[in-house]
Amino acid sequence: MARTRLSSAKGKKGGGTAEKTNTATTTTATKHPLPTESPNPPKVFILPTKATAAARIVTLPNPRYSKPTRYLVCPEAGFFEFTKISAPKTAPRSWLLESASGTVEKPQADEEENPAISSNDGFDVHITKGAELYVASPLDPLFLLLPALAAGAGQESKSTQASKKRLFLFSDDHFDALSRSTNHVSEILTWPDLRLSLELRMAAVCDTVDAGDEQMFRLNESKLLDEILTKARRMAEHAFPKSMEEKFVSKALEAPILGIRSQPTAVPEPDPATAKSREGSSTPVESADSQSTIPSLATSASSLSEASTPATTASSDSAANADSGDVVNAMSAPEEAIKLQRLRVAFNFICSSYIAPSLAELLKSHCVAAKDKVDFGPLDDYLVKLTKMRNDAAAARTSDYSRKRGMDEEEDERAEKRRKKEEEDKVKKANQSRGVKKLAKVNTTGMKKMSDFFKKK
Amino acid sequence: MSQSQSQPILALNPPQSSSPTDQKTTPHLLPCRVHLDAPVAQVQSFWAPRQAEDGTSTAYFRGRKLCGKTVKLPKGYRGVVAAKTTASDDDNNTHQHSEDDDDADKPETSSLQVEAEFDDMVIWNHEVAPDVAADPYVRGMEEWLALAGQIHSYPAAAAAEK
Repeated sequence: MARTRLSSAKGKKGGGTAEKTNTATTTTATKHPLPTESPNPPKVFILPTKATAAARIVTLPNPRYSKPTRYLVCPEAGFFEFTKISAPKTAPRSWLLESASGTVEKPQADEEENPAISSNDGFDVHITKGAELYVASPLDPLFLLLPALAAGAGQESKSTQASKKRLFLFSDDHFDALSRSTNHVSEILTWPDLRLSLELRMAAVCDTVDAGDEQMFRLNESKLLDEILTKARRMAEHAFPKSMEEKFVSKALEAPILGIRSQPTAVPEPDPATAKSREGSSTPVESADSQSTIPSLATSASSLSEASTPATTASSDSAANADSGDVVNAMSAPEEAIKLQRLRVAFNFICSSYIAPSLAELLKSHCVAAKDKVDFGPLDDYLVKLTKMRNDAAAARTSDYSRKRGMDEEEDERAEKRRKKEEEDKVKKANQSRGVKKLAKVNTTGMKKMSDFFKKK
Repeated sequence: MSQSQSQPILALNPPQSSSPTDQKTTPHLLPCRVHLDAPVAQVQSFWAPRQAEDGTSTAYFRGRKLCGKTVKLPKGYRGVVAAKTTASDDDNNTHQHSEDDDDADKPETSSLQVEAEFDDMVIWNHEVAPDVAADPYVRGMEEWLALAGQIHSYPAAAAAEK
């Protein structure tokens, strides 16, 4: 990538002060001295238009990882989470923030007409080193509340009474649990509208009891499951974004390839081929294990979707899809299975992004148990069939190479042993004294053995 | 974003200027890294993009040809360029931390000054026009925002009934 002259000047400076910058630039004989770096470079945000001026950026505990994270909170529009999009190291980027209506169309004279603005308030052209883009996407405050709703009960049941159920608590107590990690919670709770909407969200997943003129809340897992399934259904109804659909739905349900068009490239070189076939044989076996029992399938699928936080899906997966272009598939997934797969991916994505691991596990087991709410049966049937097919295909492919590989391994082992022994002998020899070495050469054929002297007579 | 707990509450200050056109900006996502965080004065001498009829722009940056495509922001969202208002915030951070420890109940408040707003941005690539559909920035913006909207929308009325 092109390093600009700006960057080389900066490199010499090595992060020093402004004066240093100037000396560095004069030595490189640039006409324009580098402008001093601004201590607070501007950041580029994408914010919802409905967020009002009263919106604040606050630090709240992340619902999954419980570490402090920045959120945008608006009294009316609700909560928004920030997703940072940055350029990968392999393709560095920078922002050039252009002023007003462009640099070409707007000549210098234009700015001079209103010099006050251009000198003080007008936005100058900026360059930033990093190319981060902060996108504020809507966030259901329910997820932020969940740690508080779930955690209190978890601690109690561990410490004192294992069988004790969650207690009904006032919303204040739940909020207190949240504000333990960050004091920003209490600040935003002073907004009456927001507090009300938070309590409403709480009520959606909780059993409630009226106590005087206030309500008490207790987390109800089945209600929570309903809520998340509703969300997952909504996601599944609309088609996923293309990259996500390809990776987690089409790819996961894709039957093994019948045509052996991709093989010829692998055959001439035995090593990559064996490696390839080993891969092919091991992964389907694994998935066969996990798919035989439904709960563990859910976890394996979740680990898949865990890798798919929006930032990473955005990176690249076109390579994975590249080879499926002109080959014949053994069977195509039925419509119902596709829909269910979509639902499952959506459910797992929500669980793995916004819900603490322990609670997510619980929800998944609930989800499997609750057949009346969602029945993944047709999908599982299809997956079992698919796994069998994949295993067969993998077995057909591996049979040639597996035996050879086995021998190789044995040979390797033997060679390894021999090498070890030789090394040991070498060490022994090196430690022997000269006298011992010389004595070893003596012809002992006529002599009595030492043991003769100690025999019983 | 990994922030320490001492992060202040930030308010977004609207732009100070009275003329709205002056607060408009167009972010250009350059396909190279410029090791500088600063305002640049005479940008015309090295940055003169030219727009063709089909919406793609061409510019020559330090002798290299760049092709750019303009991307509109998704509906319901606006672009904002903002910076922290305090002059030397990096130095202040440690200072703020100690303050926070003393007085934990009063969260620090600070503000982000909105310096400019934008409705579209230009994504640049070397030599050929960028593949906008595959660009992580565009996907993060369009795909993720749409998906997040589906995940996180919640019916306020239905919640009230329960």
